[in-house]
Amino acid sequence: MKWFKTRSYYLFIPSVLFLLIPLYGLGSAIAQSVRDNGAFTFQYYTSLFESERFLTSAGFSLQVSLVSSLLSLIIGLWITRACYPLLEKYTPRLIVWLPMLFPHFVWGYMVILLLSESGVLSQWMQMTGLIGVPADFPVWTRDPYGIGITLTYVWKEVPFVILMLLPVYASIKPEFYDLVQSLGGGAWERFKTVEWPHLLPVVVESFLIIFAFTLSAYEVPALLGTTYPEMLSVLSYDWFYGSVWEDRPLAFAAMSLMSVFLLMITCVAYLYLNRKRWRAMRGRIE
Amino acid sequence: MKRYGLAWLLLVFFLAACSNDQNTQSLSTVTEMDWSEIEESAADTTVRLFMWGGDEGINQYIDEWAAPRMEEEYDITLERVPMDTVEILQKLQTEKQAGKTDGTIDLIWLNGENFKNAKENELLAGSFVDSLPNFNEYYETEDPAFQTDFGTSVDGMEAPWGKVQFVFLYDSAKMDRPPSSFEELKSWTADHPGKFTYPNADDFTGNAFLRHILYAEADSPASIYDQPLDEENIAGTAEQTWSYLNDIEPNLWRSGEHYPNSLTELDRLYSQGDVWMTMGYNEARAESLIEEGVFPETTRSFVMDPGSIGNTHFLSIPFNSTNYPGALAAINFMLSPEAQLAKLAPNYWGENTPISIDKLPEGMKEEFESIERGESVLSQQELEESFLPESEAAYVDWMKEQWFNEVVQN
Amino acid sequence: MSRNRLLFIITSALFFLLPVLLLVLQSVSETWRFQAGQGFTFQLDSFEVLTSDPNLWSATGWSIAIGAGVLVTNLLIGILTGKALATMDFKGKSFVEAMMLSPILIPVLAIAMGLHLFMIRIGLADTLAGVILIHLVPTVPYSVKIFQNAYRQMGSDLLEQPLILGATPVHQLFTVELPLMKPAIRSVTFLTIVISLSQYAITAIIGGGTVITLPMVFFPFLDTANASIMAAFSIWFAMIPLLLYVIMEAILLLLPYTNIPWRNRT
Repeated sequence: MKWFKTRSYYLFIPSVLFLLIPLYGLGSAIAQSVRDNGAFTFQYYTSLFESERFLTSAGFSLQVSLVSSLLSLIIGLWITRACYPLLEKYTPRLIVWLPMLFPHFVWGYMVILLLSESGVLSQWMQMTGLIGVPADFPVWTRDPYGIGITLTYVWKEVPFVILMLLPVYASIKPEFYDLVQSLGGGAWERFKTVEWPHLLPVVVESFLIIFAFTLSAYEVPALLGTTYPEMLSVLSYDWFYGSVWEDRPLAFAAMSLMSVFLLMITCVAYLYLNRKRWRAMRGRIE
Repeated sequence: MKRYGLAWLLLVFFLAACSNDQNTQSLSTVTEMDWSEIEESAADTTVRLFMWGGDEGINQYIDEWAAPRMEEEYDITLERVPMDTVEILQKLQTEKQAGKTDGTIDLIWLNGENFKNAKENELLAGSFVDSLPNFNEYYETEDPAFQTDFGTSVDGMEAPWGKVQFVFLYDSAKMDRPPSSFEELKSWTADHPGKFTYPNADDFTGNAFLRHILYAEADSPASIYDQPLDEENIAGTAEQTWSYLNDIEPNLWRSGEHYPNSLTELDRLYSQGDVWMTMGYNEARAESLIEEGVFPETTRSFVMDPGSIGNTHFLSIPFNSTNYPGALAAINFMLSPEAQLAKLAPNYWGENTPISIDKLPEGMKEEFESIERGESVLSQQELEESFLPESEAAYVDWMKEQWFNEVVQN
Repeated sequence: MSRNRLLFIITSALFFLLPVLLLVLQSVSETWRFQAGQGFTFQLDSFEVLTSDPNLWSATGWSIAIGAGVLVTNLLIGILTGKALATMDFKGKSFVEAMMLSPILIPVLAIAMGLHLFMIRIGLADTLAGVILIHLVPTVPYSVKIFQNAYRQMGSDLLEQPLILGATPVHQLFTVELPLMKPAIRSVTFLTIVISLSQYAITAIIGGGTVITLPMVFFPFLDTANASIMAAFSIWFAMIPLLLYVIMEAILLLLPYTNIPWRNRT
């Protein structure tokens, strides 16, 4: 078996070359954040941590991203599980993937169209007499709790979760289910023993991808966020494209921190996943 | 195959890092030539105009009116590339840093802080305005509006393309008489809670609204626009400005808990009837939106005491354009009476012209004067009487910072 | 199963079809002003604006060309790396996997400037190849992950068997791996094209005006108060990945065990 494995390192060559591009980008971003007229400095990082505006928005962003990613995963998993055989068919699959065809902020706009105080839902509820005036409709968009942002992200990311999970479900052999059934296991047992081990790596990766995206993307919070508290991405964007170019290093510092943080949790997640896999393999050998 | 491709790229990367190609001509050698020579060398070239692309009227003016005429009269292919101004400048700055002297941008459209940043970071090609025949012939070359741009000295590095003035818009079907001063606006919001708001200070328009209040609270607007920013000097005025804004806040849309993130958002609120007023630079901006059915047909504009801020916007040439003659010829064409007339007409852009009507030949003059700009546009006289110049660009940024601290977080 | 079917029909109609329908309606109607007592007013101006843009067709062409280039490169890198990650265990693998994901963990705004510098230095700024290369950044991590998962699900037995039986790796790829990975190829196609098609900022910067793609024509318009135009553009936009996806589906039809010469050679 050994020859098969050692020989395969060449498979990495294209991706390693590819990785040079973004890493060069990250390197120069970090370089921008620690340079002040050519001299090395940490002043931008210290002023970030002294800025209440930054800290508040970092906390808010983490919270919104965490809630959005977890909700997307749970709902996506639930739909895939419940409707898996159907999703194998051409049309249902395309319907579920529909939201992915639209840019994020178009979807954000759609959420405003539907769910703002004067939106379609509110109008409909007024017509049917469920609420009296537009002001009775709850503030779901551009709200201080990030409900609008979360809604848009969940709506857009659920199809992505389905896309990631579908191949996993497609590859689970029906014999496994038969086995659980013949051993008298119920639905939960089936999920825990057959599906979850297959799903775990994909679920963790999907979480990381969605979490990173919702944390750093600018468009949706710019459309559906409110004046205060603001998302970190909006703040960095203002620093980056603001009229004072001297603020740019602050934007680079904020984004570099975000990148390093995300890279760290990703490393930890893979360490956990790989350890688990090692154990599982050892268990099989012994 | 792929692998070798990438390896090859890496090799090129190391080689290119050492090489350094040069732009053959400097702008000053081109502007020294006779105008006919410039036009000659501009013939049969392509000029790429990079500009913000979010208004179909403006885009059509370039694509349908200007480009075919330039092709026909000067044999120049004008290509419009839609891109945000801040991104254009970012691109230029990176190219400057990398020493890329053969850029793809020949013309940019900018003013205010963007011009200031571009000039300070040496992203522009240099002085050229004096060599444009149309500028010398039809424009008041010494006009202060062309000499400084938001307090930054122009130094001939950008040519005036258009001129806009800030106006408020309201629905005349809902309101008989719009407020005539900021004090009246305050009492109006008290009478009509939730029917007025303004974009936040990070937005270009929202920031201009806030500067209007600063002007209104000062002893005279001139004490702001004639002075460079000195926070101590204007402390009293600033205090009054924040208290005005905090006073109206509870009566704004959503009780001021949320300010629209952009003018687009405010326009949509107005279009839906959630608020009864919107605003914006360009005194004729309502026309096309009414025509498209976005704004109600009863939309009209108004200005308030002490006046309304107006500014000029410009065309300029970036440092690494590879086609200076073409860029010059294109700018000269854009400044021509014919091009300005078509720009003023409401069917494309409908924007005011910086040209001096007095300097035009008789027939042309009549054509300019006979243009009907639309019912929602105030008369030229009213606009001129209320005109206020822009303050220094530093105020814009000061306002962003302070507004957030004083109004939002309070 | 019928209960699930019903559930699926309701959720997908409500959450996936309805919003799209709303956008379609908006695109052929004037901006809605319910409060003013106005509702649906039919118009087609928004589509006229769309088709009158002189850049529309060339931009559509550029976008499709770039999408195709990005997809092919993605399949190449994705399959090779995905296979490597799924079949090999080595020290520091966790770190390698994290790095593979890194391009989509880092905010695009942070690296856009560095990417541009890189492209200028290798002489690919303002070229088609440069744009394709730059579109790999937000897409390749997805492809690698999807193919890695696909190979993992396949299990090493299936991968070793043909080699033992004497098949060449290329032969094995076409006869065993690709047919088994159809769901993964579908996902990659869909995702890659959609992502590539929605890249605005980096395309604008790297393409430099010589390569004008659809988002460059559209995105400025999406920030307009005219909701009809915005909706019309979004719909045109969505048609393209849909079209490419259908084409890919047709190509996939060629993959199963049919009589295609290059696969039947021994």
